[in-house]
Order: sequence, then structure tokens, then C-alpha cells
Amino acid sequence: MGSQKRIAKELHELVESPPEGITVKLADEDNLYEWRVFMDGPEGSPYQNGKFQIKLVLPTEYPFKPPTVSFATKIYHPNVTNDDKGSMCLGMLRPDEWKPSSKIGAVLQFARQLLAEPMPDDAIEGRIAEQYKNDRKHYDEVAREWTRKHAS
Amino acid sequence: MQPPMSMPASMMGTATASTSFSDSSSPRPGRLRRFSQLRAYTQNLSGGHRSRHSISSRVPWLSPSSVPNSTVTQVGNSTAPCPESDQPALSRYTSAPPSSSHGLGVDQVSSTDSSNSTPPNESIESPRSSNVMARLRSASAVQGRPPRTLGRTATPEGPTSSPEPSAAATNETPELAGTPVTETQDDGEGSNNQQKQKATIRFFPYQDSFQSSRPSLPFVPITRTLPSESCVVRVGRYSERDGIPIPNPTEPSDAPVGFKSKVVSRKHCEFMFINGQWHVKDVGSSSGTFLNHMRLSQPNMVSRLYSIKDGDIVQLGIDFRGGEEMIFRCVRIRIECNRSWQQQPNEFNKNTESLIKNLGKGETADYAGCRECSICLGSVLRPYQCLFMAACAHVWHYKCISRLLHSPDYPMFQCPNCRAFTDLSAEVDDTNDHDTEAKKSGSPSANVSEEPQPRSETQTPADAPGPDGDEQQSSNQQTGQSEENEVVTDIENLHLHEDQPLNTDIDSRRSDSPAPDGSNNDLARSATINIPGFQPTQPLNVPAGRPSHLRADTPVRSETSDDNPLTPRNDSGPLAFDGRAVMQ
Repeated sequence: MGSQKRIAKELHELVESPPEGITVKLADEDNLYEWRVFMDGPEGSPYQNGKFQIKLVLPTEYPFKPPTVSFATKIYHPNVTNDDKGSMCLGMLRPDEWKPSSKIGAVLQFARQLLAEPMPDDAIEGRIAEQYKNDRKHYDEVAREWTRKHAS
Repeated sequence: MQPPMSMPASMMGTATASTSFSDSSSPRPGRLRRFSQLRAYTQNLSGGHRSRHSISSRVPWLSPSSVPNSTVTQVGNSTAPCPESDQPALSRYTSAPPSSSHGLGVDQVSSTDSSNSTPPNESIESPRSSNVMARLRSASAVQGRPPRTLGRTATPEGPTSSPEPSAAATNETPELAGTPVTETQDDGEGSNNQQKQKATIRFFPYQDSFQSSRPSLPFVPITRTLPSESCVVRVGRYSERDGIPIPNPTEPSDAPVGFKSKVVSRKHCEFMFINGQWHVKDVGSSSGTFLNHMRLSQPNMVSRLYSIKDGDIVQLGIDFRGGEEMIFRCVRIRIECNRSWQQQPNEFNKNTESLIKNLGKGETADYAGCRECSICLGSVLRPYQCLFMAACAHVWHYKCISRLLHSPDYPMFQCPNCRAFTDLSAEVDDTNDHDTEAKKSGSPSANVSEEPQPRSETQTPADAPGPDGDEQQSSNQQTGQSEENEVVTDIENLHLHEDQPLNTDIDSRRSDSPAPDGSNNDLARSATINIPGFQPTQPLNVPAGRPSHLRADTPVRSETSDDNPLTPRNDSGPLAFDGRAVMQ
């Protein structure tokens, strides 16, 4: 399988020189296709000081198909579903926008960027997006509260 | 016409002279005009939130200044004031030459008019029939044939995404910054450069996986290279009886393109290359031509020219519900054009070439610029590997890329790096032109290779094929989208109306009066060229910071806009003209 080599390579790179606030490891040493990612809430965001666990699953067709990113830690965010799955909606992960040349590192950095700057116009959780746009203060409060409760 | 009745009070203010005006234009062919005007008003009402395109600009004939002149024009023997003033205005407008082209109204005077005001630069075969429909047709037919000066040919993406800002001057800036139109005009130079590189367009079948479940008509990719710039690629239904000659693939050809589908009219649409830019226009098809889901014209009506860019989707007709056979399917074409910069020598592919030349030279080889295979992230240019290089000069291991090569889409291959399409079944090009040209012209060669770049919107810069370029582009597209649609709508609606003659008069008045200063005038000029139907004075007020309004030409699909007739979903019948109708 060609993808294994690539995944191993990306994993190696990410472990050797992890991007800021992101650490990765395999969820299960025997399974290259499922990663556990720990992401620190970006400074200045209500998620600061939180430590979020993210499940990253690579399809066997990777890199021809995009990976899926989901939050194992509950998070109050317009672009993350507010359920058990915690799936995250990233533009670059949509099948028609995904490019094999995108790397996992870039995906994760993009995800972290999304924590710092939610995209309410591209939201899954409409209610939170609404709040983010109209009542930023309250949104910050709840997000901080959730971060304290679930992510620390 | 009886506009005042339908005119909301708010507009009355603008149209101070509306009463006298309506008198003046009353002799026009009534019904159609009234109808279209009504449309324009509703348009205004619904779209009125956009202040810049407010009443006066959208309904230019309401402007008081138009009254006196228009009266003269309408009355008939307008020989004296009209002709000369006509021409500059016209060329500024749509740059469509003869005044007779400017809508129904003018046709009334066209007999006197045209003899004087038809500019020499175009041959027009617009039939001056008295039939209203025919006039409408001829009107747009002529509009659809603008001369070189056409400013709106550029489809710039906005300055940020332009791959080569330096090279953008000729085509892009006039619209954006209001640089003198003359620049656009002397684009002739640019096209001279280009003529060596003949204008080529390719049609690939496109399957819309998002909107419809039914496949569109399959066809073999089609390439046309124009023998000369004035040629037109006609597209219509293939008929066994007429047959279609198969052009010699090694020679440029503008042979007509035929599709074996019942929903394609015999004369459906035309592609033409004007001023370094490909355009499409509907030539009166019954079931419509859609550019990125937007219908270009109403049934059996000729549309104006729409510029197209690489990656655009053109749909011919609508699936016929009556049958499941392939001949009832619409045709969806993905356009490939403006890719000549990729085909010519450029930094990136020259670099690749030198790397490949170095393959297997052992210790002395220079792998400094060695790139990685974007699939396996391994190094590509090492000896003893099977490689695949796409036309865009991106290289992968054959093993890595083979999955994408042997896809259901074969022989079409989309580069996973830059999304360029390659037709893997395309004829091998064994000419040496590029080499010799580059050697001959020395430094200008750089020019040659860069020149076309501003026209190609969809490409990422050659030497930085990464996700960045694409994302930037798409985000740009998004931002411009809604506004673009507004503008397009404006154009659409104004265009169908017979307001042109009046515009013309306004315009000519303006040009008669001494222009305050050159740049202002130029700004206005460039803007009016871009957006036919806009009131000429209007662009003067355009804030420089919002150039995106002016640049729009290629319609981009938007869910929010109710104004454009969009491609109906594929399961609807051929009579559904408009997305809304289907919903009901």
C-alpha cells in the first residue's frame, strides 16, 4: 500500500517537529490510519488553556480521499458538531476541494486556526454561529466555560 | 410606453422628466418594450438595496438629460445630431458598432441612422426586418460581435489572485483601476504575440455530481484551434444528413462542433476569441445555453457575449423528460482555455526539463530543485523510477498517480496539484515552435510566456503550485460572487431592453461637453465598456475600493440570486426556464 508509506512519513515529520500547540500519536500502535491529536486551545481565544483531543481518521484511499477530523473533547464552536461525534467541518476536507498534495500537518494547523477564528458563515451549528456573530461576549463565556469543564 | 403607471413613487423623483420622456418614446414597438420595462422596474424594486446600481443607473432612460436628445432621435430624421455623436458613445458602450444594434428603439431610425453611424470596423449582417423579434435578435447579434476595443473581455480575478501582477497590465487593470482604455485597445499587441500561439479551446464532458443524478451526454473531448482570430466555433446538433467533416487534427480548425442530443438546437451557441479572451454566446437556441448554471438568453433569443474562462461549465439544453436515452440528455462541457501559458516555456516546466535531463547522471547530477511526489511525498526525480509528467509539468511516480490516470474519467486527467485538466488521448504535439521562438526572441520570450497569464484565472502561479493559490482563488471567487451576480443581473436585464439608444444619447451629450480631465473620462469609458447598459456617468462615482463590481463578466453561480434563470435540476422538463418555476 502506497498510502502507508506516506502516512508513516507524515507521522514521522509531525512527531519530529510538531507544529505549535499540536502533538500527534497513533491511537493504536498497530493502526496507522487512526491518529490521536492533542491540540492546545490557541491563546487569546476562549479555548485557551484547554487541551482538546482530536480523532483523525485516514481513509485507506488516503491521500486521494481526505481524512476526517473529529473532536473527542466536547467543544463549543460553530464549526464543530455539538454531539458525540464532534465532527469538524473544514473546507479543505470536502471531497471536491481536497487535494492529495495537502498534508495532515496543514489540516491540523488549519483546524487550530479555526479554533482561533471560527467561521460562522460556514457553520454546522447555526445557533452557535448566530451567537458568535451577534452576542460575542456570551459566546466567549460559554466557550470558556465548556473549555474549563471538558478540556482541562 | 406607459412606464409611469408601474413606476414606484421613489423613482418618480429620479425621473423628473418622465412624462415628456414617455411621450417621446411612445412610437416604439409597444408591447415588448413595456414588458421588459416592467421587468426592469421589478428588478429595481427587488434589487434596490444596492444603491450603486440604483434607479438612474439601472434605468438610464429615466434620466432627465436623455429627454431632449432622445426625442430627436426617436422622431426619425435624426440625421443631423445623431450619427457622429452616436458612434463614440456606442463604441464605448458595448463596443458594438452600429447604432442599429442598440435595441429596438433605434431600429425605427435605423434606416437613416445606420448609413451614417455604422463604423467601418465591423461587417454587420443584421437584418433590418420590421418584425420585432427579428430586431431583437439582430440587436443582440450585433452586440455579440464587438470589435477589439471590447474592454470587458478580461475576466480578472482581482488583483490579489493575479498570478503575475506585472503582466496584468494589458487586460486586467483597465477594469479594476480605470486605467485608460487605450491600454485595452493596444492589447492588439498582446494578441499579436498570441497569434503565434493560436487560440485553442477544448471541450471536455463534465458530469455534475452535485446537482443531478443523471449523467449528461458523453462525448469525446473536442479541441479547436482557430486558424485566425476572427473565426467562430459554432456549436449545434449533429445531424447525420449534414454530417460533420472531421478536421485535420494537425491544422487549426474552426469546424463546427456537433452533439448528438435532441435538446441541442441546430444552431445553439458559438465560441469566439476576441481580444485574447474566449467568449460564448447563445445564438437563439430553444432550450438554452447555461454558463455556470446561468442561462444566457431566453428561448430563441440571441444572447450577448459572455466571457468564459478555464474551468467554466457550459451546458447546452436541459434534459428532456420524455426519454431516458442518451439523445435526450443535455450536454455539459467543461471549458479549457487560456492555458497557453502552461503550454509555453515557463520557469516551472523549464526547471522540470532540466531536472529530467539530469536524471541518471550520477554524482554530477544536480537535484537541487528536486521536488516531491505529492502523492507519496517521496522525492520524484531520482533515477530508476517510472514517472508520469502531466501537461502542467507536475511530476509523480507512475505508481502513485496511476490511480488517477486509470479513473472512470479517462482520458481526462485532472492534476491533483493544480487541477489542470489534461486530455491523455490528445494528439502528440511534436512541433518545435516553442523552442525556436524562445531562442529567436531572447528576452521577449519571457514576455511571450508570461503574457497570457493574467487571462488565466484558475491557475496557480506556475512555480508555486500549492493549495494556497487555489484557496486564495476560491475565496476570492466567493467574495466577489454575490456582487458579481448583482452586476450580471443588471447587465442581463438592461441588456434585453431597448434602452440603448437613450443611453447613447446621454453618452454622446457627455462626450460633447468637454471632459473634465482625461482620467475621469477614461474611467468612465472603461467602466461603460465593461458593463453595457450602465449609465455612463455613473462609474465616475465608483469608489476605487470596490473594483470588484466592475470586473464581473463571467457569471458565477449563486444560490442567493433569484434574478438569474439558473439551470433547472436535471429531472425537470425542457420547458422549465427558471429554477424558481421548478420549485413551485
